[in-house]
Amino acid sequence: MFCRRTELDRFRNHRDSVMEWVPGVNLLSGPNGAGKTNLVDAIHYLCMSRSFVAASDQFVAMHGAGQFALSGVFGGAIRADFSLSCTWVRGEGKTFFVNGSPLDRLTDLIGRVPVVVLSPEDRALTGEGPEYRRSFIDGLISQTSAAYLADLVEYRRVLRQRNRLLMQAALQHRPPAPELDAWNDLFARSAARIVAKRNAVLDTFRRLLAEEYAFMAGVGHEPDFTYRTNASDEPAENLARLEAGRDRERERGQTLIGPHRDDLLFTLDGIELRRYGSQGQHRLFAFALKLAQRRYFTDILEDQPIFLLDDVFGDLDPGKTRTLLEMLDAQSGQTFITAANPDPLTSVLDFTGNHRHFRVAHAV
Amino acid sequence: MQLTSETLEAAIEQLAKLPGVGRKSAQRLAMFLVKQPEEPVLRLAQSLIALKRTIRSCSVCHTITDGETCPICANPKRANGMVCVVEEPKDVYAIEKTGEFKGRYHVLGGVISPLENIGPEDIRVKELLARIHGDEGITELILALNPDAEGEATTYYLHKLVSPLGVTLTRIAHGIPMGAELEYIDEATLSKALAGRRGF
Ligand SMILES: [Zn+2]
Repeated sequence: MFCRRTELDRFRNHRDSVMEWVPGVNLLSGPNGAGKTNLVDAIHYLCMSRSFVAASDQFVAMHGAGQFALSGVFGGAIRADFSLSCTWVRGEGKTFFVNGSPLDRLTDLIGRVPVVVLSPEDRALTGEGPEYRRSFIDGLISQTSAAYLADLVEYRRVLRQRNRLLMQAALQHRPPAPELDAWNDLFARSAARIVAKRNAVLDTFRRLLAEEYAFMAGVGHEPDFTYRTNASDEPAENLARLEAGRDRERERGQTLIGPHRDDLLFTLDGIELRRYGSQGQHRLFAFALKLAQRRYFTDILEDQPIFLLDDVFGDLDPGKTRTLLEMLDAQSGQTFITAANPDPLTSVLDFTGNHRHFRVAHAV
Repeated sequence: MQLTSETLEAAIEQLAKLPGVGRKSAQRLAMFLVKQPEEPVLRLAQSLIALKRTIRSCSVCHTITDGETCPICANPKRANGMVCVVEEPKDVYAIEKTGEFKGRYHVLGGVISPLENIGPEDIRVKELLARIHGDEGITELILALNPDAEGEATTYYLHKLVSPLGVTLTRIAHGIPMGAELEYIDEATLSKALAGRRGF
C-alpha cells in the first residue's frame, strides 16, 4: 500500500501542510523541531487512529487549537485509490472517514492501510515493561485480522467488567456477586481465543525474526523469544486456573490470569536480551522485529505495508545503512525516513528517480 | 451572533438533545416547524405529550404499550409457550418486523454490567422467574440479547438460572455480526438467526 498525498490542518506544528509523496522511499531531512516526524506521524494517525509520538490527542492539536484535521489519499497494488480523513474537536473527540463516509467504530479503520513504524521510542520494546511487547503483538495481529481485533476489544471489556466485580467485593470485604460466574465463562472463552491466535501468529513470526536479524546483523546469531502466558488456549483450562487463583484474586480485587499479563522474553544466542544485551544488540533486535512485522504483513496481505523509519539511521553504521536502503530500493513498498542528517542516505540512494528527498525547513 | 428569537433558540436547544440530531439539524428542524401551518405542529406536540402521559410498560412482558397489557400478550394465539427474552422494547420491534416469531416476549430493561452498577437485581430477572413459575405455560425461552460482552454474560447468567426449571432454552444463532446491535440488523439476517436458534 502507499500514501500518495496528505493534508495537515493544525496537526502538531503544521498549520496547513500539503504533501505529495512518491511510492518509493521518501526521505525527510531538516533540523530537529522542523516537523519531519509530524508529517510522518500524520500518516500513522490516519492508518492507526493515533499518533506514534504523542500519548494523547490533546497534544496532537496545534498549540492553542481546539481542533485538527487530516486527510490522505491511499492506494495499493490490488485496490483502487481511496481517501482516509479524520477530524478531532476538543471535547467531542475524533471521527474518521473513508471516501468521505464516517466510520461507526475506530476498529473499522485498523488494517485498511497496514503500517509498520520504527522510532527511537522502540527502545522500550526490548528494554522496558511487558506492556510494550503486548502492544507490539496486538499491532502485529490486529492489522491483519479484524476477528482478532474484535476479540481483543471484547476481552478488554470483559476484563474491566470482571475487575469491577472483584474490586467491589474486595473493598466491601465480601465474596463477589453471584453473576461473577457468567463473566468467568465469557472471560475464559475470550482469553482462550486471544492466546490461541497469539500462539499461532508468533509461531510464524519466529522464523521471520531469525531471517531479518540475519539480514541486519549477518548469520551466526540466534535471535529468539519465548511467549510467556499464564492463560491457556482452552476455555476449560482457563476456568480451572481462575478457580485455582480464586483467593489471591479476591484479595487483590483484580484478574490475575489472562493474556493481559502476557510477555515476550527476547533472547540472543540463548541470553536474555533485556538484561544482558548491548545497546547495539537492542537496536538491531528492534530493527529485526519491525522488518519481520513488515514481512508478516506482506506475506498475508500480498501487498507491502507502509514503512515508517523515524530518526533511526543516526546510530546505524554505514554498512547496515547501505544494506537496508538497497533492500528498500529493490522492493516495491513505500517507505518514509526522517533524518537530521541526510548525507549517509543520499550518498547511497538516488533520490531523483523513484525516491524523493524533502527538505523540511519550517512548517507553515 | 445576535439572537432574534429566544423561543426559537429554546426549541433548537431541546431538539439538539435528541439522539443523532446535531445542532445544525436541530436548527433545520426548528426552522421547518416555524414555517409549517399550526395544525400538524400541534399534532406533533400532542403525540409527544401522549408519549409520556399514555405510554406505560405491559404488565406481563414489560414492552411499551398503551393499556394494561400489550396486544401481543393480550392475543391468546401468541400464548404458545414460547417467550423471547430481549433487552429493550426496541428489540421487540426488530423481531416483530421479521414476522417469524409467534410467541410472547420478556423485556429485561437492560443487561448485567458491573461498570454501570447494573446487576441481575436491577433488570427484570425476578419478573421472568415469576412468569416461568406462573400459569402462562412457558415451555421454551429464546434468549435474544445483543452479542456484546454484556449481552453474553447476561445470557449465560439466565441460562444457569433457568435451566434447572425444566424449560427448553435456546439462543438466537450468531449469524449476527460482532458488536452489531439487534435493532440495526436487517430483517433477513434476524429471521435466519431466529430460525437457526440453538441449544446451549
Ligand atoms: Zn406484553
